[in-house]
Amino acid sequence: MTTMLERSLKYVDERLGTASFARRALRKVFPDHWSFLLGEIALFCLVVLVFTGTFLTFFYNPSVREVVYDGPYEPLRGQHVSAAYDSVLRLSFEVRAGLLMRQVHHWAALVFVAAIVIHLCRIFFTGAFRRPREVNWLIGMALLFLALGEGFTGYSLPDDLLSGIGLRIFYSVTLAIPVIGTWVTYLLFGGEFPAGDIISRLFVFHVMLLPALLIGLVVLHIFVLVLQKHTQFRGRGRTERNVVGKRLWPEQTFKSVSLLLLTTAVLALLGGLVQINPVWQYGQFRPFDVTSPAQPDWYIGWLDGALRLGPPWDLTLFGYTISEVFWPAILFPGIAFGILTLWPWIERRFFTRDYAEHHLLDLPRDAPARTATGAAGLMVFFIMFLEGGNDILGVLLNLSVEAITRDLQWALLIAPVVTWLVTFWVCRSLKRSRVHPARINAGLRLRRTAAGGYETTPLDPTSNPE
Amino acid sequence: MDVDRDRERQQERTADQRRAERAAAAAFTVAILAGVGLFVVYFSGGQTQVEGVLFCLILGGLGVGVALWANHLLGAHEAVEERHELTSGAAGREAFGHALAEEVGPTLARRSVLVKLLAGAGGALGLALLLPVLSLGPAPGRTLKETPWRRGIRVVDETGRQVNLNSVPEDGFITVFPEGHEGSADAQALLIHVPAGSLKLPPDRMEGVPEGTHVAYSKICTHAGCPVGLYRATTRSLLCPCHQSQFDVLRGAKPFFGPAARPLPQLPLGVDEQGALIALGDFYEPVGPAFWDRGKP
Amino acid sequence: MRRTAILLGGIALLALLLTPAAGTATQQQPGSSPALLARGRELYQQACASCHGPDPAGQSVYSTVPSLAEVGGAAAVDWALRTGRMPWKDTVGPVIERGQPRFGEEDIRALTVYIGREVGDAQLPNVQPSQELVPEGRELYGQACSACHGMNGAGAALGGANIAPSLQNVSPQDVAEAIKIGPGEMPVGGGLPDYDFNSGESTRQVNAIASYVESLKTRPYNRGGAPIGGKGPVPEGFVAWVIGLGVLVLAARWIAGRG
Repeated sequence: MTTMLERSLKYVDERLGTASFARRALRKVFPDHWSFLLGEIALFCLVVLVFTGTFLTFFYNPSVREVVYDGPYEPLRGQHVSAAYDSVLRLSFEVRAGLLMRQVHHWAALVFVAAIVIHLCRIFFTGAFRRPREVNWLIGMALLFLALGEGFTGYSLPDDLLSGIGLRIFYSVTLAIPVIGTWVTYLLFGGEFPAGDIISRLFVFHVMLLPALLIGLVVLHIFVLVLQKHTQFRGRGRTERNVVGKRLWPEQTFKSVSLLLLTTAVLALLGGLVQINPVWQYGQFRPFDVTSPAQPDWYIGWLDGALRLGPPWDLTLFGYTISEVFWPAILFPGIAFGILTLWPWIERRFFTRDYAEHHLLDLPRDAPARTATGAAGLMVFFIMFLEGGNDILGVLLNLSVEAITRDLQWALLIAPVVTWLVTFWVCRSLKRSRVHPARINAGLRLRRTAAGGYETTPLDPTSNPE
Repeated sequence: MDVDRDRERQQERTADQRRAERAAAAAFTVAILAGVGLFVVYFSGGQTQVEGVLFCLILGGLGVGVALWANHLLGAHEAVEERHELTSGAAGREAFGHALAEEVGPTLARRSVLVKLLAGAGGALGLALLLPVLSLGPAPGRTLKETPWRRGIRVVDETGRQVNLNSVPEDGFITVFPEGHEGSADAQALLIHVPAGSLKLPPDRMEGVPEGTHVAYSKICTHAGCPVGLYRATTRSLLCPCHQSQFDVLRGAKPFFGPAARPLPQLPLGVDEQGALIALGDFYEPVGPAFWDRGKP
Repeated sequence: MRRTAILLGGIALLALLLTPAAGTATQQQPGSSPALLARGRELYQQACASCHGPDPAGQSVYSTVPSLAEVGGAAAVDWALRTGRMPWKDTVGPVIERGQPRFGEEDIRALTVYIGREVGDAQLPNVQPSQELVPEGRELYGQACSACHGMNGAGAALGGANIAPSLQNVSPQDVAEAIKIGPGEMPVGGGLPDYDFNSGESTRQVNAIASYVESLKTRPYNRGGAPIGGKGPVPEGFVAWVIGLGVLVLAARWIAGRG
């Protein structure tokens, strides 16, 4: 057995020279904190998406040609539906494990973007985007936008009523682009809504263009990470000039494989037990039908909330119109994501003046201005998300949508400022006290005084805990 | 004393390893059993919930076992690796610059006209490659400003059945289309029967309301285009489910709450000699959300 | 021979007179014995008159309480009492939710018959749902009901703290009565074109819609697993974060060990 292994290794090495490269690679050290695994969760969701997605592609038909439904789902018998919708129903009701694959795919998409967001927060709040990692930050932002695009195009493919309404809103948003809006929209959709081409075009984006970019950039993202080596938190023996952790083989490989398996396990459980996007209930999209409540998938929910909050102001200049949709759907995301994307440069130009290379991470408290800005930004988006579900919240809390909207409009003006100030103050005081909030007791040394009482002194957090 | 403590620690470690080994073995066994179960379930017809749970157990059993192995059964130590300089240094960059500019450099300066023409040709190619993009869709033209409604066209419901003054009970509403264009996305309109005398429209708009009770508005929300399908009978208002814009039916579908800025365009209606409802023309304004040249003819 | 013919003819005529006409063949006229009416009057004075006034057909005591002459007759009474919405139970705001009925079946019948008679509208719908009508019902439901109640009957918020309630657990009788009455924000006729309580076409449409609403209770409807409220992407997103990502973050912490 071992000689067979040795022989195969020799075979490959003689042709590709892999042995020495592999040895160096397998001995690479990666630091061991749990928060460094968040990006891997996103990566493994992507793996699940690719595998389940490939399966779905064998059954999905990206055509809006009308067919008559004659499958086992009673309420739709005899209805005229599009071939796309029909193919998704067939997959859900007539293909063994079809519904499981569809639901796993959709849950994986939701968790994928959630993992990216939480990974982005970790990078942001620990300052991991500082030199030399600005490029990887940009690649990461691009991955976020690609993930949003993949999600939106994906859930619009079944041509059901709920996602079709979302497409209609997307059409209106692109129309609202000043000057070129109508042209861009007609080129994208192939004409006036609901132009028949849009489903098949979304299919091309979802299955070919966006995955190619996504996978290519993910590979680049990981390559840059390996090249620059991972960052690490401060601690015993850790400096700016080394990496302390576990080697790629065997420890990190085992851990990553385990995380891959557990990620897939959680997604499989959700895919089997919790229903998601039951398109047969919504019915085929028709441009004059509507259903309530109507929301997009969660990662577009902030945009939905922004549209609900957005003031009803349209502008007319010299006979040309700027739609009221412009402010929440084009200007706001442009500014918010623009600031986020350019944050490494904004921070060092206006806040820290720190142009040095960093491989040791900050704790959030170490950079109060950055943490406060991040918290305020999250508060803005949190308010948008709440407003996006305002009708569901209204039923839950027995409040009118009018009351919720007015309250959240005020909140949008006040809460982010308050959040910034409070977070800044908390960070500064934590920084001064040098105590870690999660180890508040471990950080104190209890001593008996000569007089007979007790006193506590803070333990030096960089010293060896006993 | 230290030796004893070390031996103690060694024994603990082995006990800890033994526990982890047993747990990992159990986890892998669960995975195997779940795998068998999955085969049985699949070949006897399949069931989504059971399939999901069994897949979870296979993957979870494996995952838990591998994690236990990683954390307890590997002789893992902390390792340290030195970082290397990332930069190639000034010398390295200079060498790269030389390699790049060696042959081309002098040529670049001497043949500047050629270089400019090269740039021009490249630009022409770039633009030419973009041309097929324009084939992706038609020019907008006037299509966003017009719908199929014309003077004299009969009003029908989505099945094509004619609509007349008795079709809608008081405080009722239905979705209507121009005859021959049932289901049309931009022509969709709401016909609402309000009590006599309750409408508060200017006189020229009242001319498009037969009997002063049957008023029609575009169903496309002027905010972001969703169909405004919710009619609230007590307040006589229309609510759009997408972003909660609300329109006052009695006052020309003017928005009184929410992000919509403009009222739903009214469709002027009349009655023909047979008593059927007809349109008296297209909507008074372009329907749906705003766009750049909406105000231009 | 002639006497037999006359007798048979008489019986036939009597049968014809007693059989309701074809158009109203499906509508009920609850039998109204004097005892039932008396019981109804007594219950009304006890439980309803304090808000709706001593005379059901007259004005109510408070301006915010509708007169029973304007709410849709016997069908409205039956609906409100059977779904536990009436007698009013101290709710704040416009939403009066379903609850346990406060009266037994007999008492509800008594009140329905009595009030129906007083206000001059004693007809109750006689709804007959069936499997074959489900696809047609779905089509009609999409035209008339889905905007407020949702295509899957989950219900939704209307403005001003009003709601269109969930239809995932209502009876066909509830559906038929609500369409007739148009309770709250709901229009009379439920948004169906050419709605007329007595017409065969409308009855058929109501039966179809009731059939579809019935079908919302069956398993294939929620084939994918737990429906988590049926309110769409909002609860789905919540589950993805709290259960999906939450469990995975815990898993990451466990896998990383003491990092």
